[in-house]
Amino acid sequence: MTATPVNESSVRGTDVDQLPPEQPVGPEVPGAASRIRLGPGSRYTLISALGYVTSLAIFGVLVAVKGAEPISVYHTIISSTLLNGDALQQTVLRAIPIGLAALAVAVPARAGLINVGGEGQLIMGAVAATGIGVAIGAAVPGALSWVAMCVGGALAGAMWAALSGVLRTWLGASEAVTTLLLNFIANDVMLYLIYQAWKDPHGSGQPQSRPLAHAAQLPKMFGSQLNIGVLIALVVVAATWFLLQRTGWGFQLRVVGGNIEAARRAGLRVNSLLLSSMAVGGALAGLGGALNLAGVETQLRPDITVTFGYVAFLASFLGRHQPVKVVGAALLFSAVALSGNGLQITDGLDGTIVDILLALIVAVPLIMAKYRRRAA
Amino acid sequence: MNGVEQALIGGVSGGTAILLPALGELISERAGVINLGTEGAMLAGALGAYAMTESSGVIWYGIIAGVLAGAVVGLAHSWITVRRGGDQIASGLLLWFLALGVTSVFGTDYVGTAITPLSNIAIPGLHSIPWIGAILFDQNVLVYAGYVLVAVIWFVFYRTRVGLILRATGERPEVVAATGGKPQLVQIVAVTIGACLGGLGGAQLSIGYVGNWFNNMTSGYGFVAVAVVLFAAWRPMRVLGGAYLFGIVLAAASVLQAHGVSVNQYLLDALPYLVTLLALALFARRGRSETPEALTRSLSRSG
Repeated sequence: MTATPVNESSVRGTDVDQLPPEQPVGPEVPGAASRIRLGPGSRYTLISALGYVTSLAIFGVLVAVKGAEPISVYHTIISSTLLNGDALQQTVLRAIPIGLAALAVAVPARAGLINVGGEGQLIMGAVAATGIGVAIGAAVPGALSWVAMCVGGALAGAMWAALSGVLRTWLGASEAVTTLLLNFIANDVMLYLIYQAWKDPHGSGQPQSRPLAHAAQLPKMFGSQLNIGVLIALVVVAATWFLLQRTGWGFQLRVVGGNIEAARRAGLRVNSLLLSSMAVGGALAGLGGALNLAGVETQLRPDITVTFGYVAFLASFLGRHQPVKVVGAALLFSAVALSGNGLQITDGLDGTIVDILLALIVAVPLIMAKYRRRAA
Repeated sequence: MNGVEQALIGGVSGGTAILLPALGELISERAGVINLGTEGAMLAGALGAYAMTESSGVIWYGIIAGVLAGAVVGLAHSWITVRRGGDQIASGLLLWFLALGVTSVFGTDYVGTAITPLSNIAIPGLHSIPWIGAILFDQNVLVYAGYVLVAVIWFVFYRTRVGLILRATGERPEVVAATGGKPQLVQIVAVTIGACLGGLGGAQLSIGYVGNWFNNMTSGYGFVAVAVVLFAAWRPMRVLGGAYLFGIVLAAASVLQAHGVSVNQYLLDALPYLVTLLALALFARRGRSETPEALTRSLSRSG
């Protein structure tokens, strides 16, 4: 809503004083003058901070209802994820699949696509890496199988995501729904493999694939728990940032995301842009699944992703689909997800309670959506 | 009772667990709001219904509790998306996550217990129609609720003023506002009623079908319901067909297995999602032009 009449009169050179005196100059907020004036940006930050505190308080009430001590719970969350070196390394390792799957949301989001399929793409990446790693891991030098597993995982993730891309561009099926359905299918594919086709004959009946040969596992760095997957992930994050912010492809994605009809009229190849953004996103998530498998899990087992793909969607949303912020959000969520173990051991709570905390955190920017638009 | 009949009976009963949430999603989307939180509403409804039935012993209280649990999810979704302008997809997923956490934390006490599920009521006269009678008219009360709701929703959508306002809100909320209507109120009511039906669908799973509760027992059925609405092109009768088709495919597969035809268990588990995906692929383009316009805006952008 613009003050069109005022603008028109000033364009025509009419004196503003000629306007009727009772016409208000701007929206008068009663009592506004007596309040402390804050810019829209800092007010947004302040209210958001209050929102996050409220979220934590609600979570505190909830754990109290379940018979735990809230202060002790907060202490466990921090100490079991950040305060000791081992825990911090676990947080970083877990942030690899979450962060890459979150970028898998962020890249298509640039083009206006909604990829809720991080879970399935992570699974397919892990499945491909297992297949390749188990098949060649014992026979070829380590470096070769690492590369093969990463490339295979990325390709599998890309194909899985591209399936939804094709359904969207050729057949007009909403990618938000097809990516979700493909998550469940991917999970069944994986379960079939670990319970039947790829079941470890020496696994004492456990549903799991054969473990990777030692040479095929990603080596740890400097005697820590961190493996070279951390470095690979960092390089890929940087590359993704570059791709989105500094290349023509990244710019074209933003044009398509801004106004698909305008992009089409401007002669952009919209369908191939949509499809490629899905494929690149899927490749990122697939790589995340492969790195998690080759560096941390070393064999396929039923709960290998434990909703990381969905956590990743929320992380990308919290980071507003901007690569650096998304990775920050992924680190935060990785810590929260990890703290479930600590809460189970120290405070006797069900580990899934951290899902509630994740949801409460993401609720803040959602509820604040209006303020953000005003502040922007 | 032959295999085909068995599959059809199971299909109608199992399909109801998709039909009820899909009808809810239909109401919500016709008002221009997509609700992936339907999965969360189902989970909340399934646990709410089960917990209430288990503790009170009265299955009717359970049904009411299931509906109310769904309503809570619906109110939250409509508040975030309609009043606060939050992203619909993100809000839906968030509420699903919240429901997943809350139901598994508060549902642990009920895992491993069992109740007697809703009993079937044979409708006098109708149930003795050969073949059809056994399939359609010897089911539980929630299945009948499904039949009635399809008819009521069709009538309200296409034959009443309320339905006209609802559909107009889903197309052009600003026009409804300009003619003195309250599009936000319409959306809030529609989303909440929709989620109530999601809760009822959850109740059909926990107290209507199996008589127990386990973590994440809806396993994506709420998302399937959302997909059914898409390939049904937002038409009540097609939603009915889609949901039952889905139930029949599921039931047929297990009947085949029971008759000694070896069907891989994992293929069987993936079947509902595969069938839905296939249906989307076949019918999506045809339905696209019928998408409520306000819905298109929220479907094509996130963030």
